[in-house]
Amino acid sequence: MPDRVVLAIGTKKGLFIAEGSKTRKSFDLRGPFSPGVAVYSALIDTRGRPSIYASACNAFFGMKVLRSTDLGKRFKETKSAPAFPKDDGRALANIWSLAPGEGKKDLWAGVEPASLFRSSDGGDTWALSEGLSNHPHARKWQPGAGGLCLHTLLFDGKRVHAGISTGGHYLSEDGGATFTASNKGVGAGFNPDPYPEFGQCVHKIARHENAPDRLYMQNHGGWGDWDGPGGRRPDIGVLRSDDGGRSWRSIAKGLPSDFGFPIVVHPHDADTIYVVPLAPMTRTCPDGVPAVWRSENGGGSWRRLTKGLPRKDSFFTVLRDAMDIDHLKAAALYFGTTTGQLWMGRDGGESWDCLFDSLPPIHCVKAAVV
Amino acid sequence: MDAITVEVPGPLRAASGGAARVAVPARTLRGVLEELERRYPALHRSICDETGKVRRHVNLFVNQQHMRDREGLDTVLGPGDVVIILPAVSGG
Repeated sequence: MPDRVVLAIGTKKGLFIAEGSKTRKSFDLRGPFSPGVAVYSALIDTRGRPSIYASACNAFFGMKVLRSTDLGKRFKETKSAPAFPKDDGRALANIWSLAPGEGKKDLWAGVEPASLFRSSDGGDTWALSEGLSNHPHARKWQPGAGGLCLHTLLFDGKRVHAGISTGGHYLSEDGGATFTASNKGVGAGFNPDPYPEFGQCVHKIARHENAPDRLYMQNHGGWGDWDGPGGRRPDIGVLRSDDGGRSWRSIAKGLPSDFGFPIVVHPHDADTIYVVPLAPMTRTCPDGVPAVWRSENGGGSWRRLTKGLPRKDSFFTVLRDAMDIDHLKAAALYFGTTTGQLWMGRDGGESWDCLFDSLPPIHCVKAAVV
Repeated sequence: MDAITVEVPGPLRAASGGAARVAVPARTLRGVLEELERRYPALHRSICDETGKVRRHVNLFVNQQHMRDREGLDTVLGPGDVVIILPAVSGG
C-alpha cells in the first residue's frame, strides 16, 4: 500500500528529494545529489519497484543520467547518457524530459537540441529516435531563451505527443517512429505568420490519462497588446485540444495573463487544470502577487488560488516543469520558484504552505505516492 | 610508441576505474584522446562532446602548458610528458 509522498526537486545546484507521509504534515529533505550541477528533469517511475531518474547538466563534463532504486537515498550515474551519433554534428546540451516508455525498463528522453532518445534498459544505453530528431523541420527549429528543448513527452498507446520550444507540438501515431507537426490553432507572436505550421514556442502540454484526446497547452502568450506586423494575437497562450492534438483553441479568457510556463491536470478530474499566469514582460508574478489559477470546467472559467501565498513583493518565476500534483485522494499541488521556494497547495491548491524556502533556484518538481 | 601519463581529476575517476593516472600509447594529444575513447569511453565522453570537440569548460595541459599554448590537439608528445585534465575555473 503506497504510503509515502516523494518529491524530486531539480535545482540549479543539484537534485533534492523530499519525503513525507500521506498526511504531508512535514517533509524530510535529502541532497543535493550531483551537487553543484543543474538538474532540469526528473522522473519518479512507479512501475514496479519505484526508481527515480534525473538528468544532471554538468557544465564541465557533459550530461549524466542519475538513477536511484532506494527512493532517492542514493543515486548513481547510469552507464551512459544520450549522445548524438558521431557524424551527426549535434552535441547534447541538456536533457529536458524523462518519460516512461511501454516496457518496464523503457525510457524516453527529450533533449536539447530538440531530439528524442530511447532506452530499453533503464537508462544505461540510449539510441537516437530518428523520426523526430531528423524530422525535415528539425534543422529549422530555433532555440527559445531556455534553449532548443524537447520538454514534453506524453504517451497514449501508439500515440506520442512531443512539445518543443521553439518547434511546436508534434504528433506520432506509430509509437514515435514518425511525427507530424500538429499546431492548428497554436499561435506564435514572434512570427510574421501568426499561425505557422511549426515553430511555436510551446511551453508545456498536459493531459489526463483517462481522457487522452483532451490536451491542454501553455503556449508562449503575452501578445494581447501587440500592435506590430501581423496584428494582435490575443489569447494564444493557454489552449485546449479535444481531438488528440490535431487542433487547438484558446481557453485563456478570464486569466490575468496568458503567459506562463507550467500547466497541470488534476489526477482525478480531466476538467480541472492549473496554470501560473505571469506578467509577459518580466515573466514574474503579476504586480508581485503570486497566484495559481484553477479551472474546474476545462478552461471555461478560472478561479484564483492565493490562500497562504505571499500578498506582495514576490517576483519569482515558476518554470515549465516546476509544478506537479500528487495522486492522493485530496491531491496536493506543488510548485517550485526561481527564488528557491517549494510550495504545497492542499486540497487541489485551496491553501498553500511553503515547505522549503531557501533551496537553489528550482527547475523541476515531480511528485509521486509510493 | 611511448606511453603517455594522463592525470585524471577526482570527479572523473569513476570513469577510469578509480585510477588517478592512466598510461596510454600516443604520439600526439589527439592520439591520447583517441586511446582514452577506446579504453575509457565514459572518461572520453566527459572530456569531449560527441562531435569530438574538447568540452568548453575542460582544460587539457601538457605538463604545465595549456594545449592552446602548444599546438592544440596536434601537440606532439614524447617520453615523460604528462597530460593533465582539469575543469576550467567557472562559477555562478
